[in-house]
Parts: sequence; C-alpha cells; structure tokens
Amino acid sequence: MNNETAAISLSKVNKWYGEFHVLKDIDLSVSKGEKIVVCGPSGSGKSTMIRCINRLEEHQRGTIAVFGTELDDNVKNIDDIRREVGMVFQHFNLFPHMTVLENCTLAPMLVRKLSEAEATKIAMRVLEKVCIPDQALKYPGQLSGGQQQRVAIARSLCMNPAVMLFDEPTSALDPEMISEVLDVMVSLAEEGMTMICVTHEMGFARKVADRVIFMDRGEIIEQAPPLEFFENPQNDRTKLFLSQILAH
Amino acid sequence: MTTTALPISDPATLPPAKSPISWIRDNLFNGIANSSVTVVIVFLMAWLIYSVGSWAFINSVWASPTAEACQSATGACWSVINARARIILFGLYPFEEHWRSALACVAVVVVVFLSCIPALWTVFRLSIVWLLGAAIFYALMHGGVFGLMVVPTDRWGGLSLTLYIFVSVCLIGMPTSIVLALARQSRLPAIRKLAALLIDFVRSLPLLAILFAAALIIPFALPEWLQGDKLGRVIVAFSLFFACYQAENIRAGIQIIPSGQGEAAKALGLNYWQLTSRIILPQAFRNSLPPMINQFVMTFKDTSIITIVGFFDVLASAQAAFGVAEWAPYYIEVYVFVGFIYFVFIFSLSRYGAYLEKRMRVDHE
Repeated sequence: MNNETAAISLSKVNKWYGEFHVLKDIDLSVSKGEKIVVCGPSGSGKSTMIRCINRLEEHQRGTIAVFGTELDDNVKNIDDIRREVGMVFQHFNLFPHMTVLENCTLAPMLVRKLSEAEATKIAMRVLEKVCIPDQALKYPGQLSGGQQQRVAIARSLCMNPAVMLFDEPTSALDPEMISEVLDVMVSLAEEGMTMICVTHEMGFARKVADRVIFMDRGEIIEQAPPLEFFENPQNDRTKLFLSQILAH
Repeated sequence: MTTTALPISDPATLPPAKSPISWIRDNLFNGIANSSVTVVIVFLMAWLIYSVGSWAFINSVWASPTAEACQSATGACWSVINARARIILFGLYPFEEHWRSALACVAVVVVVFLSCIPALWTVFRLSIVWLLGAAIFYALMHGGVFGLMVVPTDRWGGLSLTLYIFVSVCLIGMPTSIVLALARQSRLPAIRKLAALLIDFVRSLPLLAILFAAALIIPFALPEWLQGDKLGRVIVAFSLFFACYQAENIRAGIQIIPSGQGEAAKALGLNYWQLTSRIILPQAFRNSLPPMINQFVMTFKDTSIITIVGFFDVLASAQAAFGVAEWAPYYIEVYVFVGFIYFVFIFSLSRYGAYLEKRMRVDHE
C-alpha cells in the first residue's frame, strides 16, 4: 500500500504534552473503505491519535496525510482535510442553540456553500438514515443521549465526508441507548465508509472491523484482524487488556 | 389495593387544590408571630399609600401656570412640571427649536425599539437602522441641513442629551466590547495581553476621571483635527469604559462554553469567524445576558455623571428647572418626575432583558 491509495497515513508521528510523550512513533495506514477499531487503556493516546488526524491536536514530529494532502501549518490544507474528515465525539458536542436541522445544515451552508434548500434536503435525507427525521425541529436538549449522538453522526454525514472518526461514541450513553448508535455505525460501515473508531465495544469490533489496533502508553502495540486479535493476541499487554475488558 | 396504574388525569393522583382562604391562612397567619407581622405590615402599607396618595393626588395642584396656587396647598405642586417641563426635557436647547429635540428623542426611541426586534438582528439590517437613525438624529439636533438652524452640541441638553449619550455609548461600546472580549481570548499572546492591559487599566479608573480627562486633558495631547468636539470625546471615552466592563461579561459567557463546541465546529470545517459568530458568540450572549443587561442599566444611570464636564443631562436640567426663586420649594416634585423618566426607561430595559432570557430558555428546552 503506498501513499496514493491510502486514505489516511501516519508515519513516525510523535506528540508531547509538555514533557509527557503521548504518541511515540505512530505508523498507521488506512486504505479507502477500511474500518479500524482502536482500543487500549485510558491515557494510551487513542483519542489523541485520531484528534491529530483532523488537527484538533497538533503533532510535533512525523507526517500525517489524508488523501495525499499533508497536514502541516498550511491553513488551507487543514481546511481541506477537515472538509473530508467527519468526527463524532464522546459528548456529542451538538450546538445547543440550534435545532437538529440547523445543526445539520450549518456546515454544508457555510463551508460547502450550499443553498439552504439544498442543505435542508441533504439533512433530511441523512436524518432519515439515522431514523430521527421527526426530531428535526427540536433542540438537542430535548433529545435523549442516543438520539443526540445519532444527530451528531448525521451532522457529520451532511458534509459528505470521505472518512469518519469516532472518539468513544458510546461511552457517555446509558446502556439501553448504545445499540441504537452502534446500529447506525454498522450500517455506515456496510455502505463502505472509511472509519476509525476508538471504542471499547468489542462486539462492534468483531462485527465490522477490518483491523483492530491496540494502543498502550502512546504506542501501537498490536494490530490484527478481529478474529485473530481476540482469539490469539500476541503481546502480553494486549492479553491483559482483553482479559480485563472481556472478563465482566 | 389494586396494582393497576392510575391514569395521569385521574383527580386522585393530582395534588389537592388550595382555596384562596386556606392559602392566606397558610402563608400569612400561621402562628402568632407571623400574624402580627402581617397586621403591622398591612397597617404600614395602608398608611404609606394614604399619605403618598393624598400628597400626590388629593391635595395636589395640577394645572396652575404660576407658583402662587401651590403656596396654600398641602400636597404636591405638579404645576412645576407643567411650567418647567421644557427645561427638564430639552435643557439649554434653543426654545423655538424644541420640536427638533423632541423628534430626535422619538428617533432614538424608534431606533432602540427596532434594534430590539430579533428579526432585524443581522449585521446588514442593524447597520442600516443605526446609520439611518444616527443621521436623522444628528440632522435634527445639530441642524445645518434642510434650512435648520445650527445648534452646537454644548447647547444640547435634557432628556434628548441623556438618550443620545446612552444610545451612542451602547452602539459604540457593544461592538468594541465584543472585539475586546475576543482579543482577550486570542491565541496570539501580544493581542491577548494588550487587551487585558487595556481592560485592567480602564477598569482601575473611576468613570469620573475618564470623562474628565476626555473633556479637558485630551485636547492638550491631541492635534486639533483629531480632537472632535467635547461631546464626541466624552462619548468615545464613556464607550471605552462601557466596553471594558461589558467585555468581561462577555468573556465570562465565552469561558463557560464547553471546549467541545469549538472542536465540533472546527471538525466540521468552520473557520475562526464562522465559529465565533455562529457558535461562540450566540452562546456567550445567552450565558451572560443578565450581567450584560445590568451593565446597560448602570450605564443609563451613569449618564448623569456628564454634568461634571459641563453637559446638561436630564438630571442637571431638572435641577435648573427648580433653580428659579418661584419654583425653588418644589424640587421634590421635579425629582419625582425625573425619577419617573428614569424608571420608565430602565424598567423597559429590564423587561426586555426578561423577554430575551425567556426566549433563549425556550430555545434550550
């Protein structure tokens, strides 16, 4: 796999928070249509890594490229990449002062310069896909957590991104709402979306992931297809982690 | 007892309704202490209403053109308002031109009213309203166009001067305060520190000193073409003072916005200005609406400080109104009248603030 065909490629990426070395020589290449699940103990740098991909965090050494566009200090490149990369957050981060529909049409209108009518049409189609078109005129505060996260996914999809990043999308949800969000993610995966998901939902990983990545202390320790990863982990730290999260 | 759930509308599941009598008993007469407090307060209120009412309405003189009729009356002498209203409202403005000052007041009130309508809250529409309003006000007050006699700003006075200063300070101060608040949050250290320094410097000075400096000291420091007239300088200085306080109110509103809001907007590809104008500022205004309205109210009352640099705002004009021997004893009536003017404006302002808060709460729920 070379850089031209890779959707996302990270090579020798390093990042420090002050003295603390959060990412150590991260190498990762994600091809188009590939689904990656990233797991690992908290503080291992999973979120930091995917947040570097759309420059919510800045890496200090190494290169990150999205569809051949390299992330550097060039603002235009950052804008180009953010337009192609959608992101879903643990705490939804919907805009509370806008309706669901306005949340979904804001960026297409401002960034993609669509007309309100076009943006609304796309938004309603996407809201239909996540099964909440009837909530379009409500405010985020009126929705349940699961609905809010589905709106957040819809909001990203309205930008028609080529890649979706999920940063622990179900961690802040009540247990009975996790599956409605995962269902949306599964159907997205089935449509061929390129996805990187930081999640501890191992059922989801088994079902859709092409590759599972285990990170610990800022390093990628192990990566393998899900079957191999869960049945036959190689590294001791991976084994320990799996035994801890699968035990309960 | 059956275990079937009762429908919500079943009267048995609702709290029992209270009759007015039981409400009074529960809230005003529950026990000896509360009952006696209630009785005492009712008597005090009745006495207060009676004495104020008889002074203000029953024993008062309303429409006598001279003060003589008032001398024998035991109540209020409202004739003083009748006789001296023009001084209170228009100050030193030339007598034959008072209609211009009155129309200018109306223009200001219309501009403020229009600015309060959410449908006009776009930069374009508001700028049109404000520019048009300012042009009309200035043409009326200053004259020199359409054959109107020129009235220099040092003869402006009364209510129209108070309104003019208040509205100008708000219109100049609000955009400045937003710029200061954003600058103070800037990622560039030079801009951030400069804004912080300016805000802290201005806040550490009394308004009185700032206005004094603007009126009397700045002319020595600036070249003549930059000085403008005294009123202009005072308004600019007052606006800066207003902006520094308001900027801190806005900053407080910005700081409590979760960082995820900015991250989500950036991840969607919004640039700094889109993020600021569509995500950050609308939420910041919501968050700091009560202290922001408070700042407007304080500014309205602070306009009376301009007397010390030689302007006749509504309060100073009122003092001039009873400053003649004939009406001198009736200063209380004049102050009540001016107090009423302040009350009308400030009460409208706070009701508008309450309306805005309600409107925004509805959005959130």
